[in-house]
Amino acid sequence: MDQLLDLQEKCPSNNQECPVFDEVRRLREECKRLQELTQVDTLTGLFNFRYLMMSLEGEMERTRRTGLSTGLIMSDLDHFKRINDTHGHECGNEALQWIGKIWHEKLRRIDMACRYGGEEFIVILPGTRLPQAIRAAERLRFALENSPVKLNGKLVRLTASFGVDAYRGRKKLTVETFIKQTDHFLLEAKARGRNRVCYDENKITVAMEGLTLDEREALFATRRPER
Amino acid sequence: MPTKKAPVTLCITSGKGGVGKTSLTVNLAFALAEKGARVLIVDGDLGLANVDVLLGLSVKRTIRDVLDSGADPLESVIYLEPNLGVLPASSGVPEMVTLGPEDQSRLGSVLTTISSHFDYALMDTAAGIGPSVLWFNSFVNHNIIVLSPDPASLTDSYALIKILSRDHNRKNFHLVINLANSDGEGLQTYETLEKVAKKFLNLDLQYLGTVPDDKSVHKAVRGRYLFIQKAPQSKASQALFDLADRIKMLKEMTS
Repeated sequence: MDQLLDLQEKCPSNNQECPVFDEVRRLREECKRLQELTQVDTLTGLFNFRYLMMSLEGEMERTRRTGLSTGLIMSDLDHFKRINDTHGHECGNEALQWIGKIWHEKLRRIDMACRYGGEEFIVILPGTRLPQAIRAAERLRFALENSPVKLNGKLVRLTASFGVDAYRGRKKLTVETFIKQTDHFLLEAKARGRNRVCYDENKITVAMEGLTLDEREALFATRRPER
Repeated sequence: MPTKKAPVTLCITSGKGGVGKTSLTVNLAFALAEKGARVLIVDGDLGLANVDVLLGLSVKRTIRDVLDSGADPLESVIYLEPNLGVLPASSGVPEMVTLGPEDQSRLGSVLTTISSHFDYALMDTAAGIGPSVLWFNSFVNHNIIVLSPDPASLTDSYALIKILSRDHNRKNFHLVINLANSDGEGLQTYETLEKVAKKFLNLDLQYLGTVPDDKSVHKAVRGRYLFIQKAPQSKASQALFDLADRIKMLKEMTS
């Protein structure tokens, strides 16, 4: 039914001033506005917490069915308190909006950038394996570091810390545990000096990095004829 | 003598294609069956199956049907001998190449059920290091890596062993060198790989045997018959009977 109405640009009986059609259009717009309100974080324009939890649940189920990984990036603006204390809360808000803008620009259309709460953000990357998710996080980190924002008339360089993980559907995992697991790497990034991307290095498999030069040499060295 | 003992499951895999994995699996199964064991061949090359091609079988039901429509797995087994069965895969079904976790767990229980009727289940996997290859290798008791003395095969086998040991916690690998010019060349190939695996992965690779490059094998593959049946006295057949003996020793180790 929804789709049917969407397709119709005017009243089916061609009445130019059809009150019913005007009302339907008004309701549809209102519906869209309300839908946005329930899904979007008004400050940053990113998806909100509710949408995050709902989508992540769906993507993890998709992973269990299809075997395609779901990537997750958790990030936290570095020294947010200092920004608030130095420049005031309004500038703090502007800083968060700035992140929203950059995340929006630097991610693919199917990625879901969400505000998790405070100065923390989560990006869901559907059908994305860990190495690609790490690259995406690295891209966000680099973009933020290299696009200073004007706060109180002064150019300020913002940085963020990132934790990345991917769900491969091998074991049953709740949304909360997946987030907690990823948060662990975010904490590690903070502890290791901020403005960096951390992840489980053991999960990067040989298939992704291949053999080391040493291994290759060892495999062939012994096969060369001796002189 | 029907035993209730758990079967020995073996995965025959190679990293690189074209090293004679499928031919080796099938002939080895015959050699084991000849010695009186109940043997099941599972065609684990789920996307491009070829055990049935090699054996000239006409396949009615495959693993895919068992997974999709719940066909009785035991009825899908084709018997070549009273004590030698084949569970065929389906050729050219792309979605089976990448097994989703849901399919994987069902496949696991299906294979466990069928295998329990046999002493040995030999699973012939696809080439490469795709998800289904890794899955079969993680599923079985023993991993048999088939390689040829060719450098590309050596590298790919090593890469596969590295992935399986590091990411899937597999530690016991048995090496079969196929298409070797001599036993010496086979042993030398094994030693190379063994040294590198020891040094970089801290693994002890086991030597299972060498199968010489034999004209009767090539002829058999083209003629779609088994060299072990047509030419049991050939060097390759003798090597396979030896392999079968060593695999029987693996069974004693497991039980």
